[in-house]
Amino acid sequence: MATRFTPFICILKRDLIIACRNRYELINPLLFFIMVIVLFPLAMGTDQTMLRDITAGMIWVTALLASTLSLDAMFRTDFEDGSVEQLTLSNYPLTLLVGAKILAHWLVTGVPLILVSLLVGYILSLSYAALMALFITLLLGTPILSLIGAIAVALTIGLRGGMLLSLLILPLYMPVLIFSMLAVNNANDGLSISAECYFLAGLLVLAITLAPVATAASLRIRLS
Amino acid sequence: MLLSLVLFAVGLYGGLVMAPADYQQGDSFRIIYIHVPSAWMSLFVYMVMAISGGIGLIWHMKIAEIVARSSAPIGASFTFIALVTGAIWGKPMWGTWWVWDARLTSELILLFLYLGFIALQSAFEDRRVAARAGAILALVGIVNIPIIHYSVEWWNTLHQGPTVTKFDSPSIHLSMLIPLLIMSLAFTSYYFSVMLTRCRSEILEYEANANWVKELLTTKTASI
Amino acid sequence: MPRFETQQLESIRRDNILFKDISFSLDQGELLQIDGVNGSGKSTLLRICAGLTLPNSGAVLWDNTSIDSNRHHYLQNMTYVGHQNGVKDALSVHENIQVIHALSGTSDVLDCTSTLNQVGLSIDEDVLLGKLSAGQKRRVGLCRLVLNTSQLWLLDEPFTSLDIEGKALIERLIVSHCQQGGMVIFATHQAIEIEGADIRHIHLGKTNGN
Repeated sequence: MATRFTPFICILKRDLIIACRNRYELINPLLFFIMVIVLFPLAMGTDQTMLRDITAGMIWVTALLASTLSLDAMFRTDFEDGSVEQLTLSNYPLTLLVGAKILAHWLVTGVPLILVSLLVGYILSLSYAALMALFITLLLGTPILSLIGAIAVALTIGLRGGMLLSLLILPLYMPVLIFSMLAVNNANDGLSISAECYFLAGLLVLAITLAPVATAASLRIRLS
Repeated sequence: MLLSLVLFAVGLYGGLVMAPADYQQGDSFRIIYIHVPSAWMSLFVYMVMAISGGIGLIWHMKIAEIVARSSAPIGASFTFIALVTGAIWGKPMWGTWWVWDARLTSELILLFLYLGFIALQSAFEDRRVAARAGAILALVGIVNIPIIHYSVEWWNTLHQGPTVTKFDSPSIHLSMLIPLLIMSLAFTSYYFSVMLTRCRSEILEYEANANWVKELLTTKTASI
Repeated sequence: MPRFETQQLESIRRDNILFKDISFSLDQGELLQIDGVNGSGKSTLLRICAGLTLPNSGAVLWDNTSIDSNRHHYLQNMTYVGHQNGVKDALSVHENIQVIHALSGTSDVLDCTSTLNQVGLSIDEDVLLGKLSAGQKRRVGLCRLVLNTSQLWLLDEPFTSLDIEGKALIERLIVSHCQQGGMVIFATHQAIEIEGADIRHIHLGKTNGN
């Protein structure tokens, strides 16, 4: 059975190596994230209590936008240099290989985003409970974003502009945002957040099962 | 087409003239004869779209692809009508055009899903690729619609009290219900007639190279 | 005995018929060239044969079964090298070869140097692919043919950006593959003469204008 996972690990490793060699592209979403966070107080004034109330929501919305912007990179170069064709025609299920690519993408964009979000949340003096809730929801939520996003990226790759991509995925992202914010608000009020987390975990499982299949199908369609 | 016109006439007469005015809302409630059927249809059309898209994807049936493609703009307009009438209704009832009511919000998200579908379809040059890509998106959307709906509902009930729901009280007098049902039949038959008309023109365009289309054209022009 | 066959393939692009009624079959050891002017649909036909693009009508058969219904079996027996090389600029030559090897599904141990020698490359394996010339990249892409054990090769313009020596090398690869019972379909607009091989031709051209 070990052979089944060799290509999975190979593609994972390949994408991680490529990501590390283009370090600047990794930093861009993080810079974007921090800059948008700075925009909020500039627009809304520096009223401390008001800002503290919206900090968690601000962080989540910004993280969502940043991950949307970074999605495009998942298949772009592969599409341009013909690698997608070869993945499609390899002897292994495309679903598996696509899964590896999505995991790699989450590791290089999702994980840094989580860390920076926590840092920003800490600096902006979120309560400990809210910070924990933020961490858990981001941990469960960002993979869902990458998985759902992968479908839309596969459909729109090589088409004009990123606007179409955002138009397609933002409606699909809404449940994740809603549950995450409910959890964070509950935590702020000292309530249990397990219900929301179970929901997010359920969504994650659903996304893990369906999204790679849909992404593989989308890639095949996009190539034809 | 004729059937839907007759049903429209009967339904509108029943709804606007015969049904008694609501004791709470007066005559303004009569907008439900447009609002409710179009809201029902907006969901129904999306289901038709996703199912026929799926059929087209799996069995490569051209007709199913065309049905999905022709349904999208109609469904989007139903959703739009439902939103606009909802807002018009909301103005005298809630005193504002827009409240963040769960149903209105999920209807708005549905509109985004429709618009995304249409945008994706128009981005492809090749019709068949567009149809298959759209089918994937519609299927992803249909999995997401219940999740979006319930998450929005949950978000909403936790944020504001159930003040809104009393307007949608399920107990409805028969004299109001019958015109409503007739109206929804009218909407359904209208949808099918428009959809079939659109399908016909799509097929003619699709098969512009086929011999039977050319024959049809020559006989038509000859008879004129 | 494995056999490749197409039945009445038709492709329509932007309401124009690109080609129709393309039927041919290939037995072991046969070599087929698809030729025609630019835009005549050579690449499309090859992509349909590879199962990447769906034909508007018609079918592609391998072992007398449609490649759609028996996709996995077909993929194990087919290697496609397209316009693009399918190799990554950001990876080193060695890493690229590793990826190709891992995806090929063979259990053979990888010998990178000898693989590169077979396509006539003797370079530092740790150099980034992006630093190589177009012809060298093409050769790395063509390593697929050496690393896979497929019977059917589908090559789209295999000779682009190769020098005379490289071209001769690929021709030799093709001939020896056919002699060992393989099949090759390649698409190019150039007139190709390969010594010791009998090339069949399919000509794609103007489809009587209507």
